[in-house]
Amino acid sequence: MKLTEDDLYRASTQFKHWSFTPSQLAAQRQKTNIQASERVKAAVARQRAQRAKHFDTASASESERNGTPVPTDRQVDCLTVAEEKKLVDTFCEKAIDLGGFFKFPIEVTATGIQFLRRFYLFNSPMTYEPQTISRSAMFVANKTEGHHLTLEKYAAGFPKATTEQVLAPEYLIVQALRFNFDIRHPFRALKGGHLDMIEMARGNITPLPSNPEPALDIHSSMLKLPRKPNGPETNMTVNDLEKRITDAYSHASHILKTAALLTDAYFLYTPSQIWLSAHLLADEPLTLFYLSAKLPSSSPNYPKILATLRSCADLLSSHHSFSSPTTTPAEKQARDKKEKEEVQALIKKLRHCRDPDKMDLVKLNQAQKRDAVDAGGLEESKAKRRKLEREGYQKEADDFWGPELPRRENGAKAG
Amino acid sequence: MSRVSSRASGTSTKRLAEDGDICPVCKSSRYLNPNMRFLVNPECYHRMCESCVDRIFSHGPAPCPIAGCKRTLRKARFRSQTFEDLKVEREVDIRRRVARVMNKTESDFETLADYNNYLETVETVTWNLILKIDLEATERRLRLWEEAQKAELESLYSSASRRVLSTADQDLQSDTQRVILKKSGVQRKTVSHSSSAADTPEPTAAGNADTGFRFHGLKKRVAPEPEKPFDPYGGWSLEPQYYVVQPDYDVDFITGAKTDIHHLAGGYDLRDFYSRALCEAFSGFGVFVQDEIIARENGVVERVRTETQAAASVTVGVRDVNMDDVF
Repeated sequence: MKLTEDDLYRASTQFKHWSFTPSQLAAQRQKTNIQASERVKAAVARQRAQRAKHFDTASASESERNGTPVPTDRQVDCLTVAEEKKLVDTFCEKAIDLGGFFKFPIEVTATGIQFLRRFYLFNSPMTYEPQTISRSAMFVANKTEGHHLTLEKYAAGFPKATTEQVLAPEYLIVQALRFNFDIRHPFRALKGGHLDMIEMARGNITPLPSNPEPALDIHSSMLKLPRKPNGPETNMTVNDLEKRITDAYSHASHILKTAALLTDAYFLYTPSQIWLSAHLLADEPLTLFYLSAKLPSSSPNYPKILATLRSCADLLSSHHSFSSPTTTPAEKQARDKKEKEEVQALIKKLRHCRDPDKMDLVKLNQAQKRDAVDAGGLEESKAKRRKLEREGYQKEADDFWGPELPRRENGAKAG
Repeated sequence: MSRVSSRASGTSTKRLAEDGDICPVCKSSRYLNPNMRFLVNPECYHRMCESCVDRIFSHGPAPCPIAGCKRTLRKARFRSQTFEDLKVEREVDIRRRVARVMNKTESDFETLADYNNYLETVETVTWNLILKIDLEATERRLRLWEEAQKAELESLYSSASRRVLSTADQDLQSDTQRVILKKSGVQRKTVSHSSSAADTPEPTAAGNADTGFRFHGLKKRVAPEPEKPFDPYGGWSLEPQYYVVQPDYDVDFITGAKTDIHHLAGGYDLRDFYSRALCEAFSGFGVFVQDEIIARENGVVERVRTETQAAASVTVGVRDVNMDDVF
């Protein structure tokens, strides 16, 4: 029984559960947004009704006397889908800074960001605040990537975050990820491709079973690759070519560490396609040549793959972190500033449309646990019942097995 | 308990003997020797005390000292009884012996009826032995059956081991090969010896040999398949389409790892990294997410049409998403 590389990817949860078409992605975000805003509105209305009732009974006459009208409540102004997405993207960018601050390996940061993006595909920032979620998602990512650090140390890195605050949304996140912890990153893939290209540049190529072209031919045509698409032929030495490949590698690696993480690339494309498109952005003639060495251009898949890579490259280059040679630093700065202002406004807006039920995650988390007393009256009675039940079980067990043995020092005193 | 009651009712030796507190051989009672132990021999199941056994049988086999019993007993086979009733003790022993020889299970038979017939035969044999009906003939048949089974098993296993030997590596050292050949020669000899002892030179092939019993519908025993070497991937293997892993690569980001003691000490092999990195570079190369997902969704829609709604909602992984509300 034979498997191809593609079959291996098809078996991953990333392909099975976390790959979407663009329309599916948009529809899901729309759905999440509608659900969340309905919930926020309902919760706020409920809260207001409660407050109004309280107000009526206590100080209705008073307010009449003073002449201050009861403030008419405005409809809650919820975030739109685009605004939500922008917020999530912003917090993903902040997560990169966070990873840099803690000096996490890039895999950890990247996993944390993808956790965050997956989480907010099915949850809204209005329901769960991105800041707390991103903190916990990063901590979960640390654990899944095998880069362990203690919770205390991690929480101490934040100006105001307790260990409980980091842990509270953890189960929530893990559940929203549907317990799929495996994230396929393109980083190692890029390294593999780089190794392959370097070997190719040095001329030791074993012909592929699907493409039995003589190795020498590939090598000589590789040395003549133009610098730019449709540019004139060059005549490079092997060293020049190696340097060119290494440059392309570092550029592509930069793209993978920024733009690829901050766009929907992981949802829409496979890691192999992502790294190849990043490489395409870094050095187009070289990547195209490499592709044609892997897959003959006569193959029916070739145009399809090329189209996929180009659309992925468009997605990557559309991100504002991608600096193409045409944008000047001043332009970039202006754009960044505008972006920052927009985000500030959004965060302000978010403050007014948070779901009041999900404000305090720590409390909610505790309420879920055993013997939560600090919840409402109903919860209290429940907790009491649980406690009584447990005592009953204990008593039953004691009747059967006998009570617990006395402590040693008591026994010693008695003897 | 019996001691107390016997003392209360006066020393009636008959009663004591019935209770089993007096040795029928030396007539010493538990009253005088509280540590007395009684032993039986499965040959005749006559009880006697430990000291009698020591006294009579230490010098080798001797006839049973109980009057009327002429059996020759050996000391090694004396044991303390498990059941109070010696008849039960004897029946259990017989059943154990029969079960060891007649050990077919239901899966060895073609039909349940055949198996039931077999069980009935086993029960008949057992009761014949217990009630001592046709003792000679039954014992003989049982012995023949046991030998036939043994011969069958041996021939099976020796043929299996011969098969293993023939498939084993041919480039073994010549003397080890000779040793193994010698061994298998000995095995073959013992097999032929045992079959000749049963007075049936070729018991299975001839078919007319007396195996004691003949059961209808008994499946022929097949040698178990020789164990294959363990394959962690269950027969699956990776066949790369787009790359060929070279034995070594020389790029600056791996030159450090090649000589780094921290990498090498743990058994880290760079070749694993090469194959993994190259595999990852092309895993998903030809997977077109859009097309495949649309195809998958269509497949799901089809399935929803054919199957029930509930079953479909289980199969569609995407539908179970809003499970976040645990609070």
